[in-house]
Amino acid sequence: MRPSRRSRFPLALVFAVAALLAWGSGAAADAAEDPGESFEDPAASAITTRLPNGLVVLTLEDHATPVVSFQVWVQVGSKDETWYTGLAHLFEHMMFKGSKNIEPEQHARLIQARGGRLNAWTSQDFTVYFEDVTSETLPLVIALEAERIANLRVTQEMLTSEREVVLEERRMRTEDKPSGRAYETLLATAFVAHPYRRPVIGWRSDVEVVTVEACQDFFDTYYRPNNIIVSIVGDFDTDEALERIRETFGKLASRGPIPRNPTLEPAQKGERRADVHFDLRSPVLAAAWHAPPSGHPDAEALDVASAILSGGRSSRLYRNLVYEAQQALYAEGGYMEMQQAGLFLAYAGVRPDGGIEEVERLFFQQIALMREEPVSAAELEKAKRQLEVSLVSGLSKAHAVASRIALDVATFGRIRPLAERLAAIRAVSAEDVQRVARTYLVDSQRSVVRVVP
Amino acid sequence: MSGAVRAVRMGALALLGLSLACANPLWEQPPPQVREAPIVRPGSLTRSTLSNGLQVLVLEDRRLPLVSIGVAVRRGAGAELPDGAGLASFTAEMMNRGAGDRDARALAEFVDAMGADLDVSSGWDSTAVTLSGLSRDLDPLFEVLSDVVRRPRFETAEAERARGEQLAALEQAKDDPGTLVAWHMARALYPDHRYGLPSPGSPESVKKLTATSARDFHGRIFVPNDAILFATGDVSAETVMAQARRRFEDWKRAADPDAGPPPPNPAPAGGRRVVVVDRPDLGQAQIAIAHEGIARSFPDRIAAALMNSVVGGGGFSSRLMDVLRAEAGLTYGVWSGFSMRRQPGPFQVSTFTRVAETRRAVDMVLAELSRARQSPPSEEELTRARTLAVGSFSLSLETSDAVMGGLIDLEIYDLPDDSLDTYRARVRATTQAMTAEMARDLLHPERAAIVVVGPADQLVPLLEGLGPIEVVQP
Repeated sequence: MRPSRRSRFPLALVFAVAALLAWGSGAAADAAEDPGESFEDPAASAITTRLPNGLVVLTLEDHATPVVSFQVWVQVGSKDETWYTGLAHLFEHMMFKGSKNIEPEQHARLIQARGGRLNAWTSQDFTVYFEDVTSETLPLVIALEAERIANLRVTQEMLTSEREVVLEERRMRTEDKPSGRAYETLLATAFVAHPYRRPVIGWRSDVEVVTVEACQDFFDTYYRPNNIIVSIVGDFDTDEALERIRETFGKLASRGPIPRNPTLEPAQKGERRADVHFDLRSPVLAAAWHAPPSGHPDAEALDVASAILSGGRSSRLYRNLVYEAQQALYAEGGYMEMQQAGLFLAYAGVRPDGGIEEVERLFFQQIALMREEPVSAAELEKAKRQLEVSLVSGLSKAHAVASRIALDVATFGRIRPLAERLAAIRAVSAEDVQRVARTYLVDSQRSVVRVVP
Repeated sequence: MSGAVRAVRMGALALLGLSLACANPLWEQPPPQVREAPIVRPGSLTRSTLSNGLQVLVLEDRRLPLVSIGVAVRRGAGAELPDGAGLASFTAEMMNRGAGDRDARALAEFVDAMGADLDVSSGWDSTAVTLSGLSRDLDPLFEVLSDVVRRPRFETAEAERARGEQLAALEQAKDDPGTLVAWHMARALYPDHRYGLPSPGSPESVKKLTATSARDFHGRIFVPNDAILFATGDVSAETVMAQARRRFEDWKRAADPDAGPPPPNPAPAGGRRVVVVDRPDLGQAQIAIAHEGIARSFPDRIAAALMNSVVGGGGFSSRLMDVLRAEAGLTYGVWSGFSMRRQPGPFQVSTFTRVAETRRAVDMVLAELSRARQSPPSEEELTRARTLAVGSFSLSLETSDAVMGGLIDLEIYDLPDDSLDTYRARVRATTQAMTAEMARDLLHPERAAIVVVGPADQLVPLLEGLGPIEVVQP
């Protein structure tokens, strides 16, 4: 709903997000030198509580700063929509438009009046609502979040006004933006059957006509305690917070099994291509290969491959396309995982004085090289170090830690210790990187989108 | 971070249950008193000055095995002349392309091999080199820092590449309607001043940039007596001071850099005027409405910021968001703010809407700016703005890197050292009379420039009557 957050991942942010999402499982290896040896993983102190109605609550106290992050992870995203696309994201908006006891916009105003930061985002798999507040405000946050899940009011008036806001968001992020066009077309090309082919924000025609009844039905189906993870990290008292959650969220009624998308993506049998024409000076090249879903043992090797291709100014893509050939303004590639399928995404911005054919040739040459030759020992070490440092850096804010542990529980059913992640990264060999490149980054599994004048 | 798992305290739970049972809904209760922790934990900050005038700031924070170190200077794009626009950006980029014994490639390899980040960037009023990485790499990180700050190579071949990229990026930026609207607004407000061009310059000015011009600019602005060396994270002040003395004490003092061009005309000539940037393919109009604003040194900047928060800076609590988004569904976002630089930057309102609704959105913004002058923030609105300011201030300083950023900002603008500590009290001391005065003095919708990016053939008829209309190409 909120302007400062993305409802889905625009290309420029895909890889930051991929870095967050990409910590799959993997065999533990010998504990080599790693930055995690010298300090304790803060998430090791997190407590998991499951209420009788199925709600999972993750709590992790850290009193170093007066900040607490409260996040509600509803395990519903665009993949769960059955009729109107964009419904999951629409809720990200409607949840701020009032409930039985709260006026429209009052939720946001109450939090902001206490200096808090709040927002929400939607992906293919999740709808996440969060408040980052000082600790005094946590009781109010818990009360407000429980209230809107218990008593949301979807009215025709609110839907009519908010769908216009969503359509403006769609114009801003996708329709008037070359990278947005590229991303939307790329997903619709890479997936022919799986609902990951739909834009998270929805197709325009669906958003224009979605009904109150469809909204209510979607909400009743998915906004259930047994489909929600609450994650709280920072300066608060666990006992007090849990008691408040029992008094509020604990009273929500669960339902039976949550319906899930049954469609699997059939194997791709050859390259797919699409061109999008747009008035622009700098064409965009975007490509995607099918890759494994979240939690797969190949995740770390794919992350290492991503870092070798895109990690810093010494990375292969920057070095070759931006620096040497001077054909691209940026060129990156990385693993993006989702619950039911993954993609290895690549994109480049072609210089106005460059050529898209040349950029494409150079780009795929670098991908081919990953298949044909093992990466050097120095590149492998560098990539691992970059991944490790970014993993440790991700622990500096309560918000990031709260997201990490919620995503862990959604993906692995438990909080995955930092040491286990680091060990899995350290265990990746040059052969592993070449093997995943040969397995996934093959031409017949590729979709290519060009946004050109 | 916290230690072992905490035991459940049944006694506390029982007491809590009682207190919950008697409470009214929390949203009907007044906000609790906010507990205010000190911004800088006692004993964690160390300030020193080397014999050459280099200031050193160290903020110790041992929670994670990470450090950030850097050097900031008090000059950036604002110190350029209009015909040299883009030189600060270009110089920063060149500093990242080889220093000391390492050429561009070797420098990148060395930094990436540590898993570190090297960033050199310039804003209007400052330029900074920042390195972040693991604390155990402190020595090589300091080696890179001193090389990049003191011994950039400025090779001719790299200058060719960097200039080509800067030109290409200027052209590419025209694909982004939000960037276009900002650039054309700058031109409309500051036709004869450096602020009238984008901070990365114009194609004409960038074409003239060379390795020599970057070397000269670097020599002028990177002098120890106008620089701040900073370090944050898992490191002691003693260790940083030893590195500072070893690597920076022999850096020679030089003349203080000159301030650059004079301030812009305080009230640029002309009444309300309209610029339409023609992008026939767009379905959404990008809109900016702006006029002259205030400098970072403006004495009543907190009152100005609180007034702005009520009008359009306060996100979902602002009047503009209420009217344009929540009530009318015209836009996904609307925002207003003062760009406070060393010299007065603009006050600007930005939004976007479907092309057909452009006039309605512009009229609503202008009406809200007028209303803000006639009906300045009420006590209730101001109370909300105060708590929002205090709360978001605390949240924004969650990490030590952010606190250090705040401390450096004070140094860059020569503001009192204790400004972070006194901020919350100053916000609370701001009265309704002060914000009313700010609304009257600082909002001038009658002489705003209005810049709209979108299809000119549809926009021009819609915008008629607001002022003279100029149609330009991107």
